[in-house]
Amino acid sequence: MMPDNWGFVIAAYGLAAVVLAAYWRFLSRREKELDDASVVRQHQRQGAGFSEPHARRPS
Amino acid sequence: MKDRVRRLFGVTTLVGLAAGLVMGFVVAPREATQGNVQRIMYLHVPSVWVAYLAFGVVLAASIVYLVRRLAAADRLAHASAEVGVIFTGLTIATGSIWGKPTWGTWWTWDARLTSVSILFVMYLGYLLLRGMIDDRERGARFAAVLGIVAAFNIPLVHFSVYWWRTLHQPPSLMKPGPGTMPGIIVTALLVNFAAFTLLYCYFVTRRARLLRLEAEAEA
Repeated sequence: MMPDNWGFVIAAYGLAAVVLAAYWRFLSRREKELDDASVVRQHQRQGAGFSEPHARRPS
Repeated sequence: MKDRVRRLFGVTTLVGLAAGLVMGFVVAPREATQGNVQRIMYLHVPSVWVAYLAFGVVLAASIVYLVRRLAAADRLAHASAEVGVIFTGLTIATGSIWGKPTWGTWWTWDARLTSVSILFVMYLGYLLLRGMIDDRERGARFAAVLGIVAAFNIPLVHFSVYWWRTLHQPPSLMKPGPGTMPGIIVTALLVNFAAFTLLYCYFVTRRARLLRLEAEAEA
């Protein structure tokens, strides 16, 4: 019978945990960035929508 | 997908992974020949299952994209390929870690190990190809063709242990005929299969949404 080799088990599970957690974190951060950017774009569009008639008003 | 649903999906996935760990480390017994190092199987085998699933989804979504030109199908293929590459990388790494104490070597140019490495490199190339072509529609079309061609490697990986003499053992679960593993080990493995499938679905839905948001931001 082989020895238990717990070090190899910990290395395999530890590596998987680090990789999967890093990808999870990447998805969360990127999602937050894009959601924030999308909110800013929406505000800009709304702002442009309101200001445009004023901009075109004859002086 | 609404924020609350997404969060609930994430929590369910984490609960599934925790259940998989409990099954693999607490419920499943110590294997008689290999000892506790065999517990790497509960990570290694579900990882390769997710890789097969991911690249199968790339194949299906690529065909749909070429036929219907649906941007959603292209995003699904892209997201699935990315997640598949991560799980193939994990399969290779955990297999190598498992191989050292059981085979006495980190790596050997065995048919299974070589074919899975080719699979990994092909889908890595798929992702690089997508990144290299500026024209989104053209990139999606080329990637769809590569996604279909690369999928031919999946059966080659799976059946390599039957077709060539290899150091790698034949499949214990994903094979026709009655299984040879004790029921409790099969149950632990199936719980981990379910948990990893859930994790795959979670990652792909989030990544596909990100790709949609990125496309909207660029437009």
